[in-house]
Amino acid sequence: MKLAALFPLFAIPFAFAASKEDKQKLSSLAASGNGVIRLDAPTFDILTSSSRDWSASIHFTALDKRRRCAPCKEFDPSWNAIAKAWTTVPAEQRDSHFFATLDFDEAPIVFQKLNLASAPVVWVYGPTEGSRATGKNSPSKYDFSNGFEAEPLAQHLSNHTPIPIPYRAPIDWARWITIVSGLLVFALTLRFVAPVLQSRWTWAIITICTSLTMTGGFMFTRIRGSPYTGSDGSWIAGGYQNQYGQEVQVVALIYGTLAFSVVMLTMIVPYQSSPTRQRLQIYLWSGVLMLVYSVLVTLFRVKNRGYPFKLLL
Amino acid sequence: MSTAPPLPQNISASTVANTTSLLRILALGLISAAAIASRLFAVINFESIIHEFDPWFNYRATRVLAAKGFYEFWNWFDPTAWYPLGRVVGGTVYPGLMATSGVIYNFLHYFNLPVDIRNVCVLLAPGFSALTAWATYMFTKEMKDPSAGLLAAAFIGIVPGYISRSVAGSYDNEAIAIFLLMFTFYLWIAALKQGSALFGTLAAVFYFYMVAAWGGYAFITNMIPIHALVLLLMGRYSGRLYVAYCSWYAIGTLSSMQVPFVGFQPVRTSEHMGALGVFGLLQIVAFATLVRSHVSSKQFQNLTAISVVSLGLLGALAFIVMTYKGWIAPWTGRFYSLWDTGYAKKYIPIIASVSEHQPTAWPSFFMDLQFLIFLFPAGVVMCFRDLRDEHVFVIIYALVASYFAGVMVRLMLTLTPVVCVSAAVALSSLLDTYVDVKEPSLPDATEADKKPASSGAVGSHAGTSAAAVASSTISDIFNAAKSTKTSKPKGIWGTDARIVILLNAIGMLVFFVFHCTWVTSSAYSSPSVVLASQNPDGSQHIIDDYREAYYWLRMNTPQDAVVMSWWDYGYQIAGMADRGTLVDNNTWNNTHIATVGKAMSSTEEVAYPILRKHDVDYVLVIFGGLLGYSGDDINKFLWMVRIAQGVWPDEIQEPNYFTPQGEYRVDDRASDSMKNSLMYKMSYYRFSELYGGGNALDRVRNQHIPKVGPTLDYLEEAFTTENWIVRIYKVRKEDPLGRDLKTANAFAQGKKRKRGRVGSRRRAIV
Amino acid sequence: MPPKATPARATSSSSSSSASALMALFKAYTDNTSDRLKFIDAFLVFLMVSGIIQFVYCVLVTNFPFNAFLAGFTSTVGQFVLAASLRLQVNPENKLDFKQVSPERAFADFVLGSIVLHFFVYNFLG
Repeated sequence: MKLAALFPLFAIPFAFAASKEDKQKLSSLAASGNGVIRLDAPTFDILTSSSRDWSASIHFTALDKRRRCAPCKEFDPSWNAIAKAWTTVPAEQRDSHFFATLDFDEAPIVFQKLNLASAPVVWVYGPTEGSRATGKNSPSKYDFSNGFEAEPLAQHLSNHTPIPIPYRAPIDWARWITIVSGLLVFALTLRFVAPVLQSRWTWAIITICTSLTMTGGFMFTRIRGSPYTGSDGSWIAGGYQNQYGQEVQVVALIYGTLAFSVVMLTMIVPYQSSPTRQRLQIYLWSGVLMLVYSVLVTLFRVKNRGYPFKLLL
Repeated sequence: MSTAPPLPQNISASTVANTTSLLRILALGLISAAAIASRLFAVINFESIIHEFDPWFNYRATRVLAAKGFYEFWNWFDPTAWYPLGRVVGGTVYPGLMATSGVIYNFLHYFNLPVDIRNVCVLLAPGFSALTAWATYMFTKEMKDPSAGLLAAAFIGIVPGYISRSVAGSYDNEAIAIFLLMFTFYLWIAALKQGSALFGTLAAVFYFYMVAAWGGYAFITNMIPIHALVLLLMGRYSGRLYVAYCSWYAIGTLSSMQVPFVGFQPVRTSEHMGALGVFGLLQIVAFATLVRSHVSSKQFQNLTAISVVSLGLLGALAFIVMTYKGWIAPWTGRFYSLWDTGYAKKYIPIIASVSEHQPTAWPSFFMDLQFLIFLFPAGVVMCFRDLRDEHVFVIIYALVASYFAGVMVRLMLTLTPVVCVSAAVALSSLLDTYVDVKEPSLPDATEADKKPASSGAVGSHAGTSAAAVASSTISDIFNAAKSTKTSKPKGIWGTDARIVILLNAIGMLVFFVFHCTWVTSSAYSSPSVVLASQNPDGSQHIIDDYREAYYWLRMNTPQDAVVMSWWDYGYQIAGMADRGTLVDNNTWNNTHIATVGKAMSSTEEVAYPILRKHDVDYVLVIFGGLLGYSGDDINKFLWMVRIAQGVWPDEIQEPNYFTPQGEYRVDDRASDSMKNSLMYKMSYYRFSELYGGGNALDRVRNQHIPKVGPTLDYLEEAFTTENWIVRIYKVRKEDPLGRDLKTANAFAQGKKRKRGRVGSRRRAIV
Repeated sequence: MPPKATPARATSSSSSSSASALMALFKAYTDNTSDRLKFIDAFLVFLMVSGIIQFVYCVLVTNFPFNAFLAGFTSTVGQFVLAASLRLQVNPENKLDFKQVSPERAFADFVLGSIVLHFFVYNFLG
């Protein structure tokens, strides 16, 4: 047996030493970067080397202004918050999972090698050796269907870390202060505000405004996050089950005007003192009713192209 | 007083009364006929068939009830659903609908009228819609008067928002639930107005019927307590409120626990705690009122006031503590997602994926309600003007329902009744004002001079007439709001004014009828089991692929075969093909659904053991690429992935099914996970053969499928319908020669065996 | 119609005056209430005691079978509420409140409500 063939055997302890050394290097990088390792191409190779007993969550981003990546900027604080929370974990667990950020401008080769065309992207590399080894070398990807918040990210990544990430959402001081001060103001001015609150017409206005907003499709825009106007500046969305924020206001205004005309005709007009004024008002409000109703039908025809009816317009 | 158009003078009051009631009965009869008739489009266009998905389960359950009797139905365990788990139908179903059909069926058969159970089920919804119209009439009669009631009945008879869930063939819980909802509300209002325990008991009995019929009974469970609470906060406590609420709550809660599916929830879950809380509060307030009536000492009255408030706070604290400790369950996901709208998408993707649970955009409101939607705020204003106890109820209902309808399309159904009532009140007030022929007397000149100087000065100028009208409008509003009983005249002068308004109103009503008929016939009368399209020459072309496939299954597979498909089609397969399914629309077991999702989104090698473990014989997919039918499984595929990912986040990741650029593609640029998934293979297997080797076009995604289509090793194609909408695959059992199936398939296709290890030719004798 | 709740003011009543207030209340009650109403009140007290005993048993001993406990407890609560409603409707002081419900009709409603209540109770007892 040639002695040279035994050389790989001698290399094994070096390999172990090498990975131990790598691990120490990575931990020190992480500690100095507030929990986040800023990667460049060689560090990336160390982090994702094929013999690793640590796991790594890597965040690929492009924060430079020239790249104009708005989601990257939105996501970055959440990522840093999670990594920071991870630094509070005891050292043994902490050093078996690393958080790293790779910016496009610092290592474009890595982006090319991994065939990445969009950002931000989060990949989790599991350990290939050791007790937590999953046997897979390829990373698992995180999808941003829950948005760029830190909470769902923490929850997802906790599946891959040795212990769950102790992330606590920061207390929203602004919200609490607003609530408390609002209550205080309300309690102090209660004596002056009470007659207004006890009048039925205050509540009428609140009820009508709320129901007009709701029937204008406000909750749709809030849940789906629709923009105020379309990307091409149009204020009305083309599809039937789709709308922009501005449509809520327009439609609520239309409904309000129509309801107002009916209320005028029923509750105010009969109390007029002179026949001519009354007649004028009747014609006016009937005209408003017919005209605005026609506008509403026209708007509906824009939305629902198959609608066969139309009024005046 | 003079009258605008002159009236005949010599009609006695009793004649008027009799004629009025005759006209009312006639009107209600015609409204019922219109309500039933407008729901029959589907029966006339196609045939008397059960529609959609959920009704098929209800129909199957009703068949069991009609054939085997109530006891068998109550204790029915269905081993073919959710194979191999089975489903305890008796304990997990709302039996009201089936029981109603069963009673009607037995009643008809008692009189030897041999009506088939299918026809009873199909025509139940239109029949009950006529009853709903009557119930709405009664309800609105309490609000205003019978003429408003008739308008409300007419509106709810034909309004599309209600028709969508109650066409002939839509045999679902809402068919009877909306009638029960309106009738229970009517009984509650009548109980409140009269202070009668009889109406309270009746309200409780119909509430029990509602609980047995629909899961949305929680709406009544919370609406009535909110109404009572608001009345208490307004200072309108009265003995009538106590009698009505307590008799309703005590009997209603006890009776609602009789339904096995509800069980002990009314005393254990947060949705029902509001009612209990208001009940306790009413006891305290009633006792305090009783004590106060006996003692005039101010000191003692203060003591009672303090003790009432502190007892109330203690009670609220007790609730919070019990909820925190878990003795009272928190709000279930279904109802909690109405408040926290992002909740379902994150934690319960099955609820978020249903198309009926999406938020509502404004065109849906107009489509379903048309001009009622802008009469509705006017009606609410008029309720505020009168503000009796019952009007408070309509206001609360309006506010709550408009929020819920905005959050979920399906809940448009709960908004529809209150919109009809409110719009009827508004339109009826309008018509009352302008149909009333009495003309007011002209005021004297001195009164006219007292008008505000601004409007008088500007009024005559033509150029500023708009500003004049605006300022006079505002001054009129203030005057009318301030004084209701002054010497100001009330009424309309002149016949022409009346005619303008009446023509306008009649025009809007006629437009409403046209709109409703058009919407019903075009949008809401599709059975969705049978599709219709138009031939180039305009004649109707029926696409009956679903029934073709289910009938094939029924005729060509063994009785105990198990079919795997996505949960949407489970009830239909069970109802029409009469075969066992893995998952169906009940969606009660998320892990089982995730298992099916995993099988659909994994490679054949991973899916095959799952299929064999669950004894699956056939797999069914829906594919719309040939016709352009967009409701197919490839469009639903991402939801399968998401649900599977929820249970196996390591094995299934949604980003793997997108291209590196983040697009969802099915052509040659599709990602590998996508191309190798079972769903993709089953959908596009042999699809390119249709195009003779050219580039096959998927008409739904508008993408070209690669020429070399997928190969299937572990499944073989069993049946594909005429338009390729339903594709059924048979799961291959073990190869008789002991080869692994991949090799066997390759051999069958004429490929040479790869050099390498040969699979053992001998199977071990087990 | 009872007036709105007066704003709570800190009472400076000592225990003796509250005791005397209670005595005054009791005296006013016995003097001003007709026998009919006192009869109903006795029934109400009995129902309350019966309900409390059942509840204490449930908490201290066992709540199995839960449906039986609920049936029994709800029967006392429901009957209490129906009897209290009857008392309200029969009390001549409340005549203005209940224009459409005469005392005889109130009694008939009470009987019907009790029958329906006990029908459900019996079904639920198991």
